[in-house]
Amino acid sequence: MHRKGQSATAYLFLAPFLITIVVFFFYAFARAVYYSFTDYNLFNTPHLIGFKPYFDVLGDSLFRRALANTLVFAITVTILQTVGSLLMAVALNNKIKGQAFFRSAWYMPSITSSVVITLIFLWLFQRRGVANYLITQWQAYQPLILTFLGVLIAAQVVQVMFERARRLPAGWFDPALAAASALVALAVTAGLAVLGVLHPRAVQPFDFQYFSDTWVHIGNVRLLSMPLLVVIVMNTFTTIPTLMLFFLAGLQNIPGTLYEAADIDGATPVQKLLGVTVPMLRPVTFYVLTVSLIGTMQMFDQVAVIGSAAPQETLITMAYYVYTNTFKSGAAPVNMASAAAILLALIILLMVYLQRRFFVAPEAV
Amino acid sequence: MKRTTCLSVLALTLLGQSALAQTTIKINGYAGQDPAIVGDLINRFVKPALAKDKITVTYEPLQGDYNQQLTTQLASGTAGDVFYLPAETLDTYVATGKILPLNGLVNTSPFIKTLNTTFTRNGRLYAISKDFNTLTLVYNKDLFDEAKVAYPDNNDTWTSLQTKLAGVKKALGNDYYGICLAPDYARMGQLAFSAGWKAFDAKGKTNLLDPNFQSAFNFFTGLAKDKVGIQPSEISQDWSGGCLKTGKVAVAIEGNWIVGFLKDNAPNLKYGTALMPKNDKTGKRGNFLYTVGWAINANTKNKNAALKVLNLLTSPQVQQYVLEQGLAIPSRSALSNNAFFKKTDAGAQNSAAVFQGASDGTVYGYAFGPKGPDWAKPINTALAAVLSGQMSAADALKKAQADMNTLQSR
Repeated sequence: MHRKGQSATAYLFLAPFLITIVVFFFYAFARAVYYSFTDYNLFNTPHLIGFKPYFDVLGDSLFRRALANTLVFAITVTILQTVGSLLMAVALNNKIKGQAFFRSAWYMPSITSSVVITLIFLWLFQRRGVANYLITQWQAYQPLILTFLGVLIAAQVVQVMFERARRLPAGWFDPALAAASALVALAVTAGLAVLGVLHPRAVQPFDFQYFSDTWVHIGNVRLLSMPLLVVIVMNTFTTIPTLMLFFLAGLQNIPGTLYEAADIDGATPVQKLLGVTVPMLRPVTFYVLTVSLIGTMQMFDQVAVIGSAAPQETLITMAYYVYTNTFKSGAAPVNMASAAAILLALIILLMVYLQRRFFVAPEAV
Repeated sequence: MKRTTCLSVLALTLLGQSALAQTTIKINGYAGQDPAIVGDLINRFVKPALAKDKITVTYEPLQGDYNQQLTTQLASGTAGDVFYLPAETLDTYVATGKILPLNGLVNTSPFIKTLNTTFTRNGRLYAISKDFNTLTLVYNKDLFDEAKVAYPDNNDTWTSLQTKLAGVKKALGNDYYGICLAPDYARMGQLAFSAGWKAFDAKGKTNLLDPNFQSAFNFFTGLAKDKVGIQPSEISQDWSGGCLKTGKVAVAIEGNWIVGFLKDNAPNLKYGTALMPKNDKTGKRGNFLYTVGWAINANTKNKNAALKVLNLLTSPQVQQYVLEQGLAIPSRSALSNNAFFKKTDAGAQNSAAVFQGASDGTVYGYAFGPKGPDWAKPINTALAAVLSGQMSAADALKKAQADMNTLQSR
């Protein structure tokens, strides 16, 4: 089948891609490895000095902070993303009206530029931003909200008891009864508010600073900083939709007969999700986990945009550490940056290897 | 005979060629307002003077982070012939070998001595200061009047200033503060200088546990006691100038840049200026020089033309013009007798104090040394930790010194 000259043609067609890869990946990678063993500072002639840059990097407290931040970020975001996107895909896989609309609406955050989203989040989480405003409102209107919820639950319980006393089947979450309960609760709350029994509390504006040097400690160890938590929320929000698409594609491949069999056996929706959907999606899950881990380990853009708005230690990640050590002013420790980049690459390789070794997905039947 | 004709013909052709050749000198500097200001200087002073030499000058601003941009351009060989060189990152550029030493090429005697020292390393002068700033005590007159406390003056020591600030706080109560304390080496280091501390010892190491540095650190952070001093962020400001603008803070430690800011943002605020306080023991003031210099690219192909441009940009006429336009405070010592400094309005008085600050007491350039901007981080972290009450001064300084050792042993 394979005729002479065919492979030459194939290589010719592949050339543009191959040349790019060789120049911008293999050559660049080789140079980074070389520099990580030298005293290179952008301007001098590099001399080999052995492992010193690696020891310098490992001895740098900022690097250790960057490594801890990156690992915390990668693990947290990967778990949140995978679970969140799976649930979202399952929800969107049902035959509902306006499915196309929901799919596009939920995909929006992923196609928006991450720089823009970061700026918007910076603005939401300012000291007098939307997040703090909403918390202030919640504190102020707590009496009204709690009254409404309390009456709602009480009315619902009374109605369901009444229906069951009349030997009628009624679930605790019956929507028709819930609507009636909500109306009752609204009326009671409004009535009390008009009578002046209930009124919003006067509270101080909630003034939490999200981009300050505050940390979640475990014992004496700084685990997670507030600014990083904001970035975690933001990153999860923007990447769930992309991963959701992979799961959606995987869901299309699960034979409907399995669900029918589960229905006949009387499985609940939760049992169907855990017993059929999750095992059948294992290959997709493996792919999503890998992509997500690699992506989060290399997180850079959000940190670069927030830049000096937050203390450096609270947000610095491995990729940003490499960047700041290369582009400073004048002579810069490029050898340390290269060493840090190689260490980052090794860590990612190790992660993926462990994943393949221990969590390898047996192909779904 | 033949030979002379040949030679004269040759000479004529060479002359003709050089007359036709245009030399272009490229200048790199900040973006923002600078392209307009420097462009104006070039058109007014530089181009007319160099027209007969067939030298033209272009100004190319570097957008974004100037240091990053200049570094990449120097590394790739595309930087200008003449460029701005910030004093704080001088050492990292000297290490590149791309800056031309100006010894014997430029007459440095007309410029303020401390400014020349700021740009000198190992006896080599790498740039001529373009203009400069120092720190002053800028105070809100109304608050001192209301508190019936004497204004800060040029005879104040650390202790007497502290007493005045505490007096203002005590008289005016909870909503008012004596001083804004920015958690930044750039606003605290000058006190350490006045106590006799040096940023780098003979071996280039920094000692933050030096008693002189400790005394300044403790004085500065001690001002935060009883809320006499606060950080700008505590009243939702991002710098001391913003604090002063609110009318709730009596004193800010800032340079001449505050004048334009107050003119635009608090036009009715009556303010005065005093020099930095003297240390009780040494009796000396301390101050920072914030300055940007004109430097020449060591790889320039037109060294002589570049030197001409540099000499014109630092000439008395240009500096006179810059001063009178209120653009900046230029670097020639002869300007101290300028009529501009004799004016009585608050802005000019601040300028005079800034000019005087450059030659009064222990004055060093605001510079980070060979490790670049990272050098100041341990100090800033310690200041922030102590001012926000997270750490004691002693613990914070211990940690800062440990971080400093790590940084300097690389």
